[in-house]
Amino acid sequence: MRTAEPTPIVVSGIGVTASIGQGRREFTDALLAGEHRFATMRRPGRQKPGAADDDAAAFIGAEIADLRVPDAIAAAKLRNLSWSAQVALATVHEAWEDAGLDAVDPRRIGLIVGGSNIQQRELALIQAKYRDQVEFLRPTHAMTFMDTDLCGVCSEVFGIRGLAITVGGASASGQLAAIQAIEAVRSGQVDVCIALGALMDLSFFECQAFRSLGAMGSDRFAREPGRACRPFDRDRDGFIFGEACGAIVVRRASDATRTPYAELKGWAMAWDANRNPNPSLEGETSAIRAALAMAGLPAEAIDYVNPHGTASTLGDETELAALRACGLDRAYLNATKSLVGHALSAAGMVELIAVMLQMQARRLHPSRNLDNPIDADLRWVGANGADHAIERALNMSMGFGGINTAICLQRG
Amino acid sequence: MTPEDVFTVIVGHTREVVPGLDDHAFQFTDSLRELGANSIDRSEVVMLTLESLSLKAPMIEFAKAENMGELATLLHARL
Repeated sequence: MRTAEPTPIVVSGIGVTASIGQGRREFTDALLAGEHRFATMRRPGRQKPGAADDDAAAFIGAEIADLRVPDAIAAAKLRNLSWSAQVALATVHEAWEDAGLDAVDPRRIGLIVGGSNIQQRELALIQAKYRDQVEFLRPTHAMTFMDTDLCGVCSEVFGIRGLAITVGGASASGQLAAIQAIEAVRSGQVDVCIALGALMDLSFFECQAFRSLGAMGSDRFAREPGRACRPFDRDRDGFIFGEACGAIVVRRASDATRTPYAELKGWAMAWDANRNPNPSLEGETSAIRAALAMAGLPAEAIDYVNPHGTASTLGDETELAALRACGLDRAYLNATKSLVGHALSAAGMVELIAVMLQMQARRLHPSRNLDNPIDADLRWVGANGADHAIERALNMSMGFGGINTAICLQRG
Repeated sequence: MTPEDVFTVIVGHTREVVPGLDDHAFQFTDSLRELGANSIDRSEVVMLTLESLSLKAPMIEFAKAENMGELATLLHARL
């Protein structure tokens, strides 16, 4: 069993972009107000060709309305960038400024991008456009089709020279990026590491497949998008997609130049030896227990849990069973996905950020559509939110292919 | 379409691809390289121009152009 790092690792910068708001302040305000932007999705390539707006089979989700790109990022840099890359740039910029990284040697700064196959909608649009005129395909497609283009783009714009790679763990990719960033700092590979949960840009192909698989809702609330996303509620029927991206700056507490958002006390990953989407109680409890052990904390020391909570029928039940099995049934609990949707590759990062922003606000955000919780005896934060100063939190992620991650945070 | 028309199309795409040329008075003798276009930018200018002209021709044919005027002439010859 690994033990906690003698020199604490902290989060000293945050950037976030989601449907409910761009930037820490806007996002926090919307989170605490319980806002949402669920609607029939309208970004080109998100609906099956020819699908009408009032089609009951249209895909529901939460999309980012208007992305504001900072003036510091020249317009020329945005040419030929995928939607995921544009959102990544804006989000990393916020985290970079927040942590004051201009003062750090760029050779000691790293970037871990969480997510694989994140630009599906862009690829679908390009393939549709050039199917019959492939001769005119942009030469730059050879660069932009790869997820690692985000590493290239961000490292060029910000001058990052220490490390720039992607990691993939399906819907746990965001947390996986955070964990790999922590490890990169802990090992001395870099002094500062940015972990990015990249925006997963689904096309209608992936939406259709997720629906066919039974993972994505909502047959039940096709005509009521605002009611479709309901993690842990008895009427849930699958996850609802949400566009989002988050970035954190991880460094040693001794190097931090500002009061950190949180100390990262413990983290763990566990694999189920399972290619399929089904959850594993054993895998989830294993990740939770290992993260708590590394943090040196008993379960009762955790006063808030931010669960994965996708609104999957079996996934939500398994997760609550894991929390109970680990003695976490006394902690407050809410569902960030009920407000922002399931951001897939970015989910774990956006939710980690939601934990820290709630810590800072000393308030817990509401859970939408949690009308009849599947385990009503847990300490749910319902429709009204709650005043509570989080001291120590646990955040979980799970992904297809049997990956489970957990991170313990303590107020900074 | 004249070579001058093709040149105008190239100029439009050059402004699109290479930043800071909005006010530049383009001449046939201008070199894309000297205007700040790297190899990827140059290939993109050529590809965008080919698409605008609906001209299906191998890009390699245009690599020998020494300046924008020669590029316009070579492209015009393939129309």
